[in-house]
Amino acid sequence: MRTIGEYLRLYFIIEAQYIKARMQYRADFVISSIGMFFSSLATLGIFWVILKSVPDLAGWSLMEMVFIYAFYMIAISPMQILFDHAWQLRFHIQRGTFLKYYFRPLNMMFYYMSEMFDLKGITQLVVGVVLLVYASIQLHIDWTPIRVVLLFIALFSAALVQISIIVIAACASFWVLDSYPVLGLAWKLREFSPYPMTIFDGAFRFVFTFIIPIGFVSFYPSQLFLRPQDVSSLVYFSPVVGIGLFALTYWVWTKGVNSYTGTGS
Amino acid sequence: MKGYLAVMRGSIMVGVVYRFGFIFSIIGNVIYLGVAYYLWKSIYRHADVIRGLTFNETFLYVALGSAIFILLKTYMDWIMNYEIREGSIATYLIKPIDFGLYMLFTSFGSVLMNLAAITIPTLLMLLFVFKVDFTLGPGLLIFPLSLFMAFLISFYFDYFVGLLCFYSESVWGISTVKDIVVTVFSGALIPLQFFPDAMQRILLWLPFQAVYHTPLMMVTRPDQGWEVFLPMLLVQLFWTVALFIATRMFYNQAIKVLRVSGG
Repeated sequence: MRTIGEYLRLYFIIEAQYIKARMQYRADFVISSIGMFFSSLATLGIFWVILKSVPDLAGWSLMEMVFIYAFYMIAISPMQILFDHAWQLRFHIQRGTFLKYYFRPLNMMFYYMSEMFDLKGITQLVVGVVLLVYASIQLHIDWTPIRVVLLFIALFSAALVQISIIVIAACASFWVLDSYPVLGLAWKLREFSPYPMTIFDGAFRFVFTFIIPIGFVSFYPSQLFLRPQDVSSLVYFSPVVGIGLFALTYWVWTKGVNSYTGTGS
Repeated sequence: MKGYLAVMRGSIMVGVVYRFGFIFSIIGNVIYLGVAYYLWKSIYRHADVIRGLTFNETFLYVALGSAIFILLKTYMDWIMNYEIREGSIATYLIKPIDFGLYMLFTSFGSVLMNLAAITIPTLLMLLFVFKVDFTLGPGLLIFPLSLFMAFLISFYFDYFVGLLCFYSESVWGISTVKDIVVTVFSGALIPLQFFPDAMQRILLWLPFQAVYHTPLMMVTRPDQGWEVFLPMLLVQLFWTVALFIATRMFYNQAIKVLRVSGG
């Protein structure tokens, strides 16, 4: 068993090499970053257009929506930057190249995901941080030390939820021919996490809270900072949801890895 | 012509093989429709008519917009990028066929497949689950024509991005920017009427709205006269022809830089 310290050191070495290799394609980095910039702001643009015509969205003002959206952008960044290799899993499984990950004395999920470090995702993280700071100032949020700690815990839990949803979707390729449609669906659901969950009722709210808990990626945890006085006790379960879901994901991944038999060539 | 129809049939066959994907596309679309329904329901708590549209009209607009989005999503830009990168584009160039038309018919084949597998189920759902009211009017008659031009314009956007792959390998970035610009400024995500007036006036002249807004208006407000529809159709026709000519000229330039490695 290796320690976490060893893994961290290893991760930095691997990513340093990866970034050096990617930097040969500077134009691609610039174009992809521009693409990321626009795609990460698209839904916010829609909220902005809507809030030009109506004063609020289910009781939330434009600036509060900016905060929720910024929280969302930061929370999905670890998935984008560190777990982007999930999208390639289906190719590795189909072509049989997945076998190579069995032959290193490393944790397989770590080894597999470390092979890619999505540089363009940094654009999204930076825009998210800038928007969060901007919205906090506009909304006069008082950042006491406790709140800052709370923010980090909330972001960490939210990031775990988002990572789990994408990795579980990618794991479908262990059992079906092509996991792209499943991943595409998970990707689309991600976009709904900054929507005020209070607009939904019945089945939709239940699914987004308990089945595919995208509400925990942004809307629920954001309430801790926007409306601390009327936070539902559900919000305090965020870390449990995040860690629990990731444990489930790791279990599914292990199941998949153990059932994979290669392509025989 | 017969050859191109065979191309179209081939691309329908490919769609049939991947039918597993359609189930998830339909599920994704149902969820999207549900989210859009609740979102607009909560927006319409403020007023019955916003920007000249009722809830029913807005929801129909947005829901059909998503159906058209899926209908026209044929990934031609990605397919062309793949062909160019792998060098298999050479096999088209030695055949006595027109590359642009070949791609157009491949795209049309997958549109027909999408129509049967995703768009029609979506429309049935709108009718029977969400129970939206359709208004009758002359607009409905010209809708198919308008939708066909929308397909051509959308195809030429994809084709243009595909041709850019002769120069650059960063298809993800270019294609993402194209998708965002087309969906946000066309009415695919939100009716054009909601944009600020000054922006709206500019957007109505651009080719993006010709893909979504124009055909969607034929269905959501079909009871208007020719003086409304004719200018819209003319703008659509203009962009169809303009993009056709522009991509032809671009192709003739781009093909000169193509180098396919032997093998």
